[in-house]
Amino acid sequence: MARRHLIIGGGTAGINAIRTIREEEGERSEITLVSAERPYSRMVLPYYLDRSIAESHVYTASARVLADWGVKTHVGRRAARLDTKANACTLDDGTTVEYDDCLIATGSSAVRAPVPGADGRAVHSFWTLDEARAVLGAIRPRSHVVLVGAGFIAFTILNSILSLGARLTIVEVAPRILPRMIDETGADLVARWLGDHGVSVRAGVTLARIADTKGLKRLVFASGPAITCDLVIMATGIKTNLEWLQGSGVTVNRGVVVDEHLRSSAPSVFAAGDVAEGRDLISGAAAVHAIEPTAQEHGRVAGANMAGRDVRYRGSVLINIVEVCHLDVASFGAWDDPKAEVASGVKADRPAYRKLLWRGDRLTGAIILGPSSDIWTTNDVGMLKGLVQSGVALGRFKAHLARNPFDIKPAFIASKTTGRLLDETILGRPAKAPGDTPVAV
Amino acid sequence: MTSVLVIHPEKCTGCLRCELACSYVQTGAFQPAKSVIRVAPFEGHTSYAPYTCTQCAEGWCMTACPVGAITINAAGAKDVVDDRCVGCKLCTIACPYGTMFYDPDTRKAFKCNLCGGAPACAEACPTAAITYDDTPTADWLGDFAHERTARLLELR
Repeated sequence: MARRHLIIGGGTAGINAIRTIREEEGERSEITLVSAERPYSRMVLPYYLDRSIAESHVYTASARVLADWGVKTHVGRRAARLDTKANACTLDDGTTVEYDDCLIATGSSAVRAPVPGADGRAVHSFWTLDEARAVLGAIRPRSHVVLVGAGFIAFTILNSILSLGARLTIVEVAPRILPRMIDETGADLVARWLGDHGVSVRAGVTLARIADTKGLKRLVFASGPAITCDLVIMATGIKTNLEWLQGSGVTVNRGVVVDEHLRSSAPSVFAAGDVAEGRDLISGAAAVHAIEPTAQEHGRVAGANMAGRDVRYRGSVLINIVEVCHLDVASFGAWDDPKAEVASGVKADRPAYRKLLWRGDRLTGAIILGPSSDIWTTNDVGMLKGLVQSGVALGRFKAHLARNPFDIKPAFIASKTTGRLLDETILGRPAKAPGDTPVAV
Repeated sequence: MTSVLVIHPEKCTGCLRCELACSYVQTGAFQPAKSVIRVAPFEGHTSYAPYTCTQCAEGWCMTACPVGAITINAAGAKDVVDDRCVGCKLCTIACPYGTMFYDPDTRKAFKCNLCGGAPACAEACPTAAITYDDTPTADWLGDFAHERTARLLELR
């Protein structure tokens, strides 16, 4: 039994692992956390940016809470080297921490488009709390903000930028917006919606350089007119934080390769969250799902196994949702599977859109778009997730949904999906409430 | 054991009193649009059944919440703590039953919290189609809906 656990990374995966170790263990173990930043939730930074929550609200485990949980901390330190033979991790200040088992949960970081001027003044990323502070400090009412990149991360802060009274232009190198989250039909509806809400979108343009001009920023493209603005936010992708694992002996592909216990190729090393290459529940293939729900589930499963339980993880479902000026946009599972059968429906005037993807009579992916004030949009979001997650056989409802892609609820209920889902838990037991983590004795 | 809402769909007449009562207790106004129990019609509105949160063991909404804003209340229900909720909607996409709600006015998620142990829907139901009983949660509607969608599936 591991007596000394080392958690490397204080994000969602790491904090969930710590909580779960404390929930599951029979005997109190020693837990050490190494985290470059104070633990906070990246998910809620857009709400810090629009000033609807205070900075204190973003933290997931304060120093006090970590002390209550009996966690030794190295906050502000990064892991620099992992020696899986000696079971030791060296930090960037030279400190060495020995462990019986450890969790790699070092997440990912923002990357900027490799163009001249990308590191210049008034060019920001929006990924960490420090970066969020910098953006918040720089935006003024009536600022003209250019978002470079029209992916999920860009869209999470779109509402916040608008609510601060700024003017917004989005530029994207791909021919359309949200290329890795929704299909072309959905993207067209969202682009039109954005136009109706005063947001300029320029897709299919390649940024060549960012220059300074009279106190403003000037974005020059490979073709087409330049754009002048006050502030540039680069949301041009993320990369997994893996470099420090060179020479560790841990097998790395697109992420740290883990088995169904979230264990890496080194028996005493686990990995979770953005940095882990686990399994996709729908396809069964190896996948890096750099999303919050996967980090949470990975972290809990890894934590339970580190505490001595034998919990197998079936895999994660790719799920994403953003609200764009009161329009909900979500996708699930294998929404872009070219081999799937497809049924879809559009109500362009609302606008609303459903796309259902099938393998046999099982729903394997879906896209949903609709006004967030429509209750049925929110209800359908959940039920589509349930249908994809449970893989329930829809039988004759497949033909019904092909004709009526908006009529999700009767199909969900009559296919007895609820009964299929009720026994499902991630840890094989009821989840505990967030405040119920046992504290140190 | 904690009590759960038991739905007896064959007793439901579709009167929507549960939605009125729910919205009144949850929001202080009679506005079925904000009810967290929803009466679903079947077979072209010839039969009805109320649908709401099962208070499932995993609590997908609760485990998904990035700020710990969903907790378990004294009645054993998963409950949204308003001043913690930031409105990120992760719970709405994590709940596989479609029983999380989002209020665009308050920018908060909301859901069935069993009214803290005295569910207004059960009290308001005139035919006892909704009862509050000390029993394990279950799929109350599956068989009922399965029978009552046969005609729907034959329609072209």
